[in-house]
Amino acid sequence: MPAPAPHDPLTAPDAGVTRRSFLRTSAVLATGLAAVAASLKPLFEMEDITSAQQFMQKYYKELTPEDMAKVLQRIEGEVEKEYGVRPHVRDLRPMDGVEFVYALNLSRCIGCRKCVHACVAENNQSRSPEIQYIRVLKMPHGTFDLEKGDHNYASEQVPEKGFFYMPVQCQQCHNPPCVKVCPVNATWQETDGITVIDYNWCIGCRYCEAACPYWARRFNFTKPSIPAERLNPNMSYLGNRPRSQGVMEKCHFCVQRTRAGRYPACLEVCPTGSRKFGNILDPNSEISQILRTKRVFMQLKEDIGTNPRFFYYFDV
Amino acid sequence: MHPQNRTPMVLTGLAVVFIGLAAAFLSDSWGYPAPRAKIPLVDKAILDPTTVRRTYADLIRAKEDLSDFDCYACHEKGQPPPLRYDENHKLLIPEEHVNIVMGHGSHGRNNNCFNCHNETNLTTLQPRDGRELKLENSTELCGSCHGPTYRDWDSGAHGRSNGYWNTKLGPAVKKDCVNCHNPHSPRFPGRKPAPGPHTLHGTGEVTHTPESPSTH
Repeated sequence: MPAPAPHDPLTAPDAGVTRRSFLRTSAVLATGLAAVAASLKPLFEMEDITSAQQFMQKYYKELTPEDMAKVLQRIEGEVEKEYGVRPHVRDLRPMDGVEFVYALNLSRCIGCRKCVHACVAENNQSRSPEIQYIRVLKMPHGTFDLEKGDHNYASEQVPEKGFFYMPVQCQQCHNPPCVKVCPVNATWQETDGITVIDYNWCIGCRYCEAACPYWARRFNFTKPSIPAERLNPNMSYLGNRPRSQGVMEKCHFCVQRTRAGRYPACLEVCPTGSRKFGNILDPNSEISQILRTKRVFMQLKEDIGTNPRFFYYFDV
Repeated sequence: MHPQNRTPMVLTGLAVVFIGLAAAFLSDSWGYPAPRAKIPLVDKAILDPTTVRRTYADLIRAKEDLSDFDCYACHEKGQPPPLRYDENHKLLIPEEHVNIVMGHGSHGRNNNCFNCHNETNLTTLQPRDGRELKLENSTELCGSCHGPTYRDWDSGAHGRSNGYWNTKLGPAVKKDCVNCHNPHSPRFPGRKPAPGPHTLHGTGEVTHTPESPSTH
């Protein structure tokens, strides 16, 4: 072992701690610790740390019925913890021999926007910031140029002379562009025609939002805020359970209602009966009657080949 | 200065900078941006799926007070009430029925009470085919003139139905004509629309209240 150099305490392996090296090491340590603590600060402020179970959860289509039962229970627990309301979360599957179609009567719609808010209440959308699935366009008579539509109208009274009103929501296309672009298959079309989203599988890339020609998809930029007293406890996995920050959502024809046989919320609240919904595969359903006998003028933007399951019609 | 003397000075300087930054981060000296103003919740009346009017049939079902429909509390039985018209052949509404606005049909031609009411029995309605209908069956009466609309209503294309689209799972409740239309002036009334979408890029109305939760 070579003799230690007497004037260089840093390179001397057996030199004791000098005052200088002690101060320097402590300064470096203190700085490092403070920096690490500061960088970790956001972690401690996170309100809901993703639970390990939620993080490890499988894709919707890979969940066995037992897995799903566990997942639904976990979601019920999470919602109860957060909102103080025990919800009933179900995983409703498409019915056999059912394909849903929506029709909207443009001659009757008065543009009162009740459907917009009934939808928000039914589907537990964020109130502030606001997420709404339905946009009501106020259109001047004589054109279907959507560029001329105004969705921010604040009239004293509707309907106004010289205008008609056209609510637009997810059109549940036969050929949905949003499904094609999803890089992780978090959104897909079910056999009853509803395009759904697995909120746990969505990575929030917003490709689908860009691909949708109807501006039907919404993104949760922040954690949705839902007042507990307005929470709808009748929930479904692919439908209206509370979403988290960073996932997409959209109209799903109220799967928690329609797959249990009920009408969607927007239809029930419509004061004029402009909204019609039903099973197109049943030739006697009211929706089949309407498509057979009414002047169904269009699917919105039918020239782009998306083939919506949402029809607009006239009857005056 | 000799480079060997400069190194500890730089290190000390950096340490001071980092400690300062760490202290600033920990003490949160910049603060968070003020939370966006909360959007007020919509009025619960907007979410109400009930119809704009309640019919005689609804009142019967709810077992409510029907004294308003007791015609013979004022009118005399067997004596058809007289109708009076002004010089333009416009019906003069007696003050007991002042809440009735006659506006059925364009040009004011449908201005005879007894086009629909039965003058010999005021508690019933009479379509043109001679039937006598109870007040709660008024939809049949409307259908006696408005055939195509009645056909559409019957098939579900016109009017409201609530409940179940799949009648195997539950009932579909079909609403009557007079649930939405006032028979004396049937045009559907206009109303104030519910609030529209709020714009994200604000109007400058951001309020910072300490009790509102931060939205970071």
